[in-house]
Amino acid sequence: MNISGESLGTFLARQTVQAATPLILAGLGELLAELTGVINIGIEGLMLIGCIAGYAAAGISGSGGVGLGAAILAGMGTAAIFAGVTVWSAADQIVAGAAVNILAVGASGLAWFFYQNARQAAHRSVSLGRHVGFQSVAIPGLSRIPFFGPMLFDQYMLFYAAIILAVLIWLLLHYTRTGAILRALGDAPEACQAAGISVRTWRTGAVLFAGACAGAAGAYLSIMRTHAFASDMTGGQGFVVLSLVIFGRWNIPGLIAGCLLFGGINSLQQTLQTTRYTSHATLMHALQHIPFEFFQMLPYVVALLALATLSRSSPGPRYLGQAWKQ
Amino acid sequence: MLSIENISKAFGGVQALNNVSLAIAPGSVQGILGENGAGKTTLMNILFGLIRPDRGQIRLNGQTVVVRSPRVAQKIGIGMVHQHFKLAPALSVTDNLALAVGRNFGLLHRASFRYRITSLARSLHWAVDPDSVVGQLNVGQQQRVEIIKALLGGGKILILDEPTAVLTPQEVDELIPAVRSLARSGITVIFISHKLSEVNRMCDRIAVLRRGELVFAGPIGELSAEEIAQHMLGSPGALPSLGASSASPGLVRLHLSRVCCPLPDTHRYKPLLDNIELSVRAGEIVGVAGVEGNGQTALIDAILGSLPISSGVIMVEGSDLAHLANFRRARQFACIPEDRQGQGLVLSLSLTANLMLRSYRNPEFKRFGLRRVAAWRARATMLIRSFDIRCAGVEVPIQSLSGGNQQKALIARELHGNPPVILAINPTRGLDIGATAFVLQQLAAARQRGAGILLIHSDLDELLAISDRVMVMYAGQLLPTNWPAVDREAIGRMMMGITPQAA
Repeated sequence: MNISGESLGTFLARQTVQAATPLILAGLGELLAELTGVINIGIEGLMLIGCIAGYAAAGISGSGGVGLGAAILAGMGTAAIFAGVTVWSAADQIVAGAAVNILAVGASGLAWFFYQNARQAAHRSVSLGRHVGFQSVAIPGLSRIPFFGPMLFDQYMLFYAAIILAVLIWLLLHYTRTGAILRALGDAPEACQAAGISVRTWRTGAVLFAGACAGAAGAYLSIMRTHAFASDMTGGQGFVVLSLVIFGRWNIPGLIAGCLLFGGINSLQQTLQTTRYTSHATLMHALQHIPFEFFQMLPYVVALLALATLSRSSPGPRYLGQAWKQ
Repeated sequence: MLSIENISKAFGGVQALNNVSLAIAPGSVQGILGENGAGKTTLMNILFGLIRPDRGQIRLNGQTVVVRSPRVAQKIGIGMVHQHFKLAPALSVTDNLALAVGRNFGLLHRASFRYRITSLARSLHWAVDPDSVVGQLNVGQQQRVEIIKALLGGGKILILDEPTAVLTPQEVDELIPAVRSLARSGITVIFISHKLSEVNRMCDRIAVLRRGELVFAGPIGELSAEEIAQHMLGSPGALPSLGASSASPGLVRLHLSRVCCPLPDTHRYKPLLDNIELSVRAGEIVGVAGVEGNGQTALIDAILGSLPISSGVIMVEGSDLAHLANFRRARQFACIPEDRQGQGLVLSLSLTANLMLRSYRNPEFKRFGLRRVAAWRARATMLIRSFDIRCAGVEVPIQSLSGGNQQKALIARELHGNPPVILAINPTRGLDIGATAFVLQQLAAARQRGAGILLIHSDLDELLAISDRVMVMYAGQLLPTNWPAVDREAIGRMMMGITPQAA
């Protein structure tokens, strides 16, 4: 990891935002779906499907944009199955979400296998070319601001998209009738029904949107941040998203704060593992005696603690996880 | 002018409404009175499009309207405030109204909604803050939001389904002038209640329903409160002979002393149970009459231990139950619960298994922790024969039995083995005449064998026919009566809350 030319603080800030981006993306979708009353614990699986779909499509087409589009469509397609089973057939959302996760592991492994075979048969490289996929985009001028420039204005395209999306969804939720409906769907579906709103249609829309977001988050992992695919590359981030939605109390600013906190702890632990930063020799010396698994565990411990302390005071949408049968 | 013409509706053989006709003038307040199960809510659900009638029609200003759905009802100007509010607690008052009556999916015009809400509220002399979150309002305020919602939605006819059941007396006092002022502005209000005093203060005309039939319709003041109560309760029907009650009841089996139970929430002003004094002795049936919702369910829950009491003592055969775990406590009683399918029976199990639920722990029915199939079958066969349960076999699912036979199975299980204390709540509800007679005869026979029986029953005639002593439950209080020295009408008045001391 090349961090020359940047102070440790600037480097960490930039890494934090990079680590937080997929969480924000997937979290926005999940937040919206949970507001309407559908909890999808299959977010992890949807992200993984986004990873492989984005990677393979980018590899075959040679275009990062095609990869991103394919990841979004794959996420939505898988979410459509989930919506059919839970929203329309009223199956248990937790069980169906777990099934999506298992399905995703198998499906992505299979797709990866076929992709590798196809590429080798065509005598082409399995890995993405340097020009395929995305590079970070520095916004002229703004990216030169000390500290905040590299942190906020020298990021991947999807980070900017995620922030714009977050602002738009926040405005939608609080300043439109659509937003009032979305906020009411998980809290009082009977009130929506009485107003002539089809609860199940709206929930399906929210689930599909969440699928698109998770697919894009997957593409971010495979064709932006890393240019690689590995069968475990989501590493539980989809589950972290679930806890971050609770951490943020189903509010977008809270969600983003949680994502940055988690991303910060995560990039801190990665930095501690991989760098030997001479100017901080004393600190590093002290930390060397702690096994690195402890740092790997740290973000998840923080997530659990946040859940334990916040869940009680904020129960979330009243009908979260309950099917609407009318 | 809203005309309801010859409306009939049956639910699975039970005639909920029979040929009901009623004309309601615009700008009037029409009270609809009746006991629980008289058909009030069914009639209103038909008006609001939630239920389709079997026969009859609805005419609005001379034109026949087919109210297919609540949406249609709202379109033709019928709004309904349900007992359970349809509001989103997480949203503000303004957003709830935008959600309910808004038409576009674009930006919210909060300012215009705010203006409409406050001006409507002001005309009713209500203070409603359009920006407060609905979940933080109390029940009375939420009801106002519901009424405003119905009116802003274009409602010219407003149905209020037992609106006062959730209100404090003070809130009722504020609701009445608001309803009167709505009527002055030309809104038709249909007010459903079983509380005579409120109907008297609020309505121009009343209609009384009893067992699905309209028994009176006319202006307020034409009948006295006593006459209305009599219309609601009806005249006694023919009942089976039940055998004489035992002349001298024995020892006290169930005793409640100064039992109080606080409110589940702060919005209701009356305690659930208010200083209950009750004793049931061996060989007697103590009947508790009352309009539903006056604390009967709380009384049973308190005795069984599922509702914690705040003070007082509950004793069975002289020993205090307070320190028993709930499941041990429940074993002290034979109980015929109100909800026989939910609480009394396990619908997914067979008839035999349901018959054995109380006794499967007995050594005679198990060996090495496993059930003794032959002993189970023998017991089940015996119960089926002696309680005349009509079934296709002992192992059939209990669901395959008719309602009456399910109740017989429940009673067979609970009454077998001479339980000392029996609790029965509406044991004949929904049963036909034959099954009703059977159930009452079984209770009388249990009394003859020395059981102490507490019978809570909404059918006054059956209750009076079988009980040795009668008490009336009203507003959480259990009032003794001098039955049979006082007449049925006096007890009916007590149930309505009229002159509770007179009886």
